[in-house]
Amino acid sequence: MVHALEEIQRVLVPDGILIDLRPLADNWRVEVVSLREVKRTGRVEDLPVQTDGDLAANEAMQVVEKRSWFKREQDELFPFFYSWDTPSEMEEFVDDDWSDFVGMEEDTRRATRSAWAVADGDSRVRVRVEIWIARWKKNTINLEP
Amino acid sequence: MSLQKDPDRNEIRHLRKFVDLDDKRVLEIGCGEGRLTWQYAKDARSVVAVDLDHDSLRVAKVDQPSGLENQVGLACSDSEHLPFSKEKFDIAILAWSL
Repeated sequence: MVHALEEIQRVLVPDGILIDLRPLADNWRVEVVSLREVKRTGRVEDLPVQTDGDLAANEAMQVVEKRSWFKREQDELFPFFYSWDTPSEMEEFVDDDWSDFVGMEEDTRRATRSAWAVADGDSRVRVRVEIWIARWKKNTINLEP
Repeated sequence: MSLQKDPDRNEIRHLRKFVDLDDKRVLEIGCGEGRLTWQYAKDARSVVAVDLDHDSLRVAKVDQPSGLENQVGLACSDSEHLPFSKEKFDIAILAWSL
């Protein structure tokens, strides 16, 4: 990761901007949502490998900051939703596309199906992922470590 | 399947809030299937979007909006060995790839 950041620093102009956009692995909430309400029904179970990835990325950015390649100017969290018409479509996607790094417990599946079955007609099912965005400015004076 | 990713367009709104892409030379690392790329590409002067996954790049190419052919380049590249000369880009975007 640090080598990739060194490469980015190389190809950016002086005062160039690096935007780091990435999902945080913890606490992906499952919700049933309509225009009238949002009902939380559980969370996706993340696996340690994802959490380790977050830690490694953070450590890489700390190294970069320490070496004065970039300076962090701004950061923020925002929600990114994966949204489906029905719980079964959500479950199919989680099982087929996310099975390498997340899972969903039966309690959450059952709670989501139940909440959706009694919810308003416009209800959808969604997973809320927290995305971290940070703006880094390339330092014009590069101090070697 | 009825999957919608980011129906509220929070990601592109935050990207535009954090950086002015107008007339900039942008390098996107980890473009995948171009989900984010095709939302901002028209703002930039030029975009080079790279990813290691050939299949994803094929999808990105198929989904490329018309009119951006001369403005956007897609390439298979490793972020640790970027095949570009130094100081070539104004903005780099790590798109879910660090």
